[in-house]
Amino acid sequence: MFEGLRERLQAARNRLSSSIGAVVAPLADQPVVTTPAPPDVSKEPAKSAAPSFVDKVKVLVLERELIVSDKNIADALSELELTLLESDVALPVTDAIIAHVRKSLVGKHRKIGESVDAMVVSALKAALLQVLGKGFDLKEYITTHPRPVKILFTGVNGTGKTTSVAKIGSYLHKQGFSVVIGAGDTYRAGAIEQIAVHAGRIGIRIIQHKEGADPSAVLYDTVQYAISHKIDVVLADTAGRFHTKSNLMNQLEKIKRVMKPDLVVYVDEAVAGNDAVIRAAEFDRTVGADAIVLTKADMDSRGGAAISIAHTIGKPLMFLGVGQGYDDIIPFDPAGVVDELLDGA
Amino acid sequence: MATNTQQAEQRELMMLQQYLKDYGQQAEIFVEQLNLLENGRMEAFAAIEALEAMVVADDNTVLLQIGGGASVRAKVLEPEKVLVAIGAEVVVERSNKDAVEFLKERIMEMEASQKRVSETLDKLRGQMNEINKRLEYGYQKSMAGRQEEE
Repeated sequence: MFEGLRERLQAARNRLSSSIGAVVAPLADQPVVTTPAPPDVSKEPAKSAAPSFVDKVKVLVLERELIVSDKNIADALSELELTLLESDVALPVTDAIIAHVRKSLVGKHRKIGESVDAMVVSALKAALLQVLGKGFDLKEYITTHPRPVKILFTGVNGTGKTTSVAKIGSYLHKQGFSVVIGAGDTYRAGAIEQIAVHAGRIGIRIIQHKEGADPSAVLYDTVQYAISHKIDVVLADTAGRFHTKSNLMNQLEKIKRVMKPDLVVYVDEAVAGNDAVIRAAEFDRTVGADAIVLTKADMDSRGGAAISIAHTIGKPLMFLGVGQGYDDIIPFDPAGVVDELLDGA
Repeated sequence: MATNTQQAEQRELMMLQQYLKDYGQQAEIFVEQLNLLENGRMEAFAAIEALEAMVVADDNTVLLQIGGGASVRAKVLEPEKVLVAIGAEVVVERSNKDAVEFLKERIMEMEASQKRVSETLDKLRGQMNEINKRLEYGYQKSMAGRQEEE
């Protein structure tokens, strides 16, 4: 997953480390007075203001530390910016990452002998975590909210929405929750059969009407079934639609009014890159979204959508689809993704 | 009148048919994705060829395709400066050589993606073959059952 981005980030990381290392190396070679620092000299962990040459020498001599300047890392940051853009990371997100890395590194005091790489990795990780947000713990959400928790799935056509509903159903079922699926895609030929087969395979009850029926009625019945049978979670599948189709968007509004979902989840494919981010923003503007699921993340080498989507629309990424099997869906763990991208160079 | 066993067999056959349909739809999506990647790869190759030819062309003149099989001779003002869409809807100016390098990297990326999609498609087709075999066996069994009844 995201191999291309990982390779590029590792190259950018090395470039940043060598930029800082190359500047501080000649300074470090100079004779250093080993007098211990006076006790009243206070150290700040990070300073964002550009240090003067005198400051640098003072810190080098007194504290045996080096200070990173903006100039030291300007070229490497430009390269990182291009790296992120080439990976389809949206421009505002790229800007936010660069600004965070710059703020973390410029003015940073580094002990002589301390690893430059560790400092760079820490800055990159913090910047990525900032844009990735905290993710969305669905399990925790369900346990802390009144049952049944009603989740409505929306998105454009052909992105794997129905399969994602089944995968999430299977995930929740394995976590010990009772689940019912509402076959709300009454529009696409074969969609009801498709979700019924999925539900049968994973052992989940499904509520369905005939093809062409009103999806609001199907999903209303599903919620009623969940209430009367004390089911924990309702997963409501809907037909894929583009935000520009006003009749289908009105239908979605009606579904929302009728079933009153606790969560509206937008599903798109990671391989769509920046297009997925733009579509998610449009959907959020028109019908709202509380969380995002990105499918086909295993096919996505660039990782741009996964990095950008939460920061761009301000809604958390909940799951990543990573294969064909029902278990091939993973709760989005920002720290895990960042570690995978930056560790083990 | 069909027995319970026959009804169960019929249900299983219908289920298998649905699986097959489902896998078939998924396979179609992957084939579509493969085609998109292949088109992208071919486009990148054509762009590299054009960029390399541009710098060696006399008088910076190239043939510009304007659609419908029609082309015109066009003079490139600055063949050394190329505007490249690098991603995230961002376009940057690159030298001709850097643009070619960039496109070559993209081709490699697309080839890696093609490999991954092909592998998934092969796996899906394998599963479809398995289902087909089970379906065929099911039909034969069902036919044999009917003949015995007659």
